[in-house]
Amino acid sequence: MRRTLGLYLRLISIQLRSQMQFRFSFWLDVLTTGLLNVSYFFSTYLVLQRFGNIAGWTIPEVAFLYGMIEVAFGTMDMVFSGFDPDFFSVFIRQGTLDQVLLRPMSVAAQIFGSSFVLRRIGRIGQGAAVLIYALVTLDIHWTPAKVVYLPVVLLSQVLAMGALFMVGSTLVFWTVQRVEAINVVTYGGVEVMSYPATIFPTWLRGFFTYIFPFIFLNYYPALYFLDRPDPLGFPVWAPFFALPAALLMLLAAWRFWTFGLSKYQSTGT
Amino acid sequence: MPEMIRVEGLQKTFRVMERRPGLRGAVLNLFAPRHRMVQAVNAVSFSLQAGELVGYLGPNGAGKSTTIKVLTGLLVPTAGEVQVNGVVPWKVRERYVRQIGAVFGYRSTLWWDLPVIDSLELLQPMYDIPPARFRSNLAEFSRLLDLEPFINTPVRSLSLGQRMRADICAALLHEPHLLFLDEPTIGLDVVAKEHIRQFVSHVNRQRGVTVLLTTHDLSDVERLCERVMILDLGRLLYDGSLAGLNDAFESFWSLKVDFAEDYADVNLPGLPAPRREGRQAVYAFDHRELSSAELIRRLLERFAIADLEVRRPPLEETIRRIYQEKLLVDGERGQAV
Repeated sequence: MRRTLGLYLRLISIQLRSQMQFRFSFWLDVLTTGLLNVSYFFSTYLVLQRFGNIAGWTIPEVAFLYGMIEVAFGTMDMVFSGFDPDFFSVFIRQGTLDQVLLRPMSVAAQIFGSSFVLRRIGRIGQGAAVLIYALVTLDIHWTPAKVVYLPVVLLSQVLAMGALFMVGSTLVFWTVQRVEAINVVTYGGVEVMSYPATIFPTWLRGFFTYIFPFIFLNYYPALYFLDRPDPLGFPVWAPFFALPAALLMLLAAWRFWTFGLSKYQSTGT
Repeated sequence: MPEMIRVEGLQKTFRVMERRPGLRGAVLNLFAPRHRMVQAVNAVSFSLQAGELVGYLGPNGAGKSTTIKVLTGLLVPTAGEVQVNGVVPWKVRERYVRQIGAVFGYRSTLWWDLPVIDSLELLQPMYDIPPARFRSNLAEFSRLLDLEPFINTPVRSLSLGQRMRADICAALLHEPHLLFLDEPTIGLDVVAKEHIRQFVSHVNRQRGVTVLLTTHDLSDVERLCERVMILDLGRLLYDGSLAGLNDAFESFWSLKVDFAEDYADVNLPGLPAPRREGRQAVYAFDHRELSSAELIRRLLERFAIADLEVRRPPLEETIRRIYQEKLLVDGERGQAV
């Protein structure tokens, strides 16, 4: 385990070195992705301002939802970029996976180490700015439990969305091309998590509760941080189900991945 | 010598989707896909002793790559038994790949954007090579393969020959017992090919590395291998010495004769009429039935001869005939399998 971690860090440091070779284009990328997302949030802000609130949530409260998920998604997109189905389908098509299988190191660790998109810090920074705006504006009643739980929620979001990347990549074993359907869940899930869950129709909410339990990853924790009542009548532990939900998704994704990899080795592509 | 590779009844069947043409076909493909089973490798058995250097030949689609993929643990066969150095490759992948090296001519196993030296140094912790061993191996291979001039160049900027040398070095730094070379000289010029052959021969002799060499280039085989295996349509057609292959299949030799005088008729009884051009004639004969000495004796009895030249067909010709005529499929001649 320690050996694998050491090797992983070496692979990542190589990635970073080669990305920093082209410093100008790197910072330009960071800036544009950041600005793009800021302008997106700003347009939402303008709409919100007109209505004053969404389903009873004020602008800073929605900014809290949005900022959390942006920071988490940006981080996930950076750390799990080897499992990005777009990246991984190229990986398979070019036969790079065969090289990975020839090296004495865990396949998953090598894929984690094969891509680390540092310029995602643009998106993370932008999300962090929105989140800080929310935290400063909102009058949150901070308790030690809340202080500890905030990073746990962020981590859970990273793991849960990473699990979807992993599922999307596993599908590539069968299809070779990336599968659009899983992107609908991944990016649709991010969209859904950016707003109060009550604005969505019941079927969609059900989908993101019972099939992909995203509702426990952002909306319910937010109710806890903001001391808002639960309009949906879930048990009191619902806000604290973020980490278990994420771990369940990751476990399922891992099982699927292992199955897909063994299928790849028995059929070739 | 201990056994390094044992393959018994290896079979690999792929399910391939049949694509029907046209719009109607595309719709049918989507909703009612039709599949066809393709046998890439069928009932292949062989064994390699430690220290051997064996050529694995066959036309495109013969099943060479499938065999190599199974032997390197990348692919799980449909049926059959494979043991390499006592283990089943795909069952203990991480442990197994430490014992082997593999070089693929058509794609690099190195990190594309890294300078060669960085790529090689990454292999030290990955294969847990003791640092001192790593340094001495690197120094030796670097000298033999002449890596120094481009050791700081990123892999993507190397010429094909340079890249191949770097790849071969990378495959051997961890001192594997067994080396798989899949088309290592493909696309290289004569000098670069020779450089690689010399090195392969060196590691086989000096370090006792067992080598399985897949190639299209028969001069690789003639230069390096004493034993060859020939595969076509997924079946092993021949497994034996290169010399034996010549004896068994180079049956039609030719004898070129320059006559000292003009003759109207130079036909010999029992032989097809020679190809003639002026005072020159070329006789084709089956050397298993008629030795060149006997043929020459008979010619000298009848004609005044200025010069003679016996020619064996080149290996390419022999192999081409084996593929074309499926000489060995019925297993009736030579060391057929």
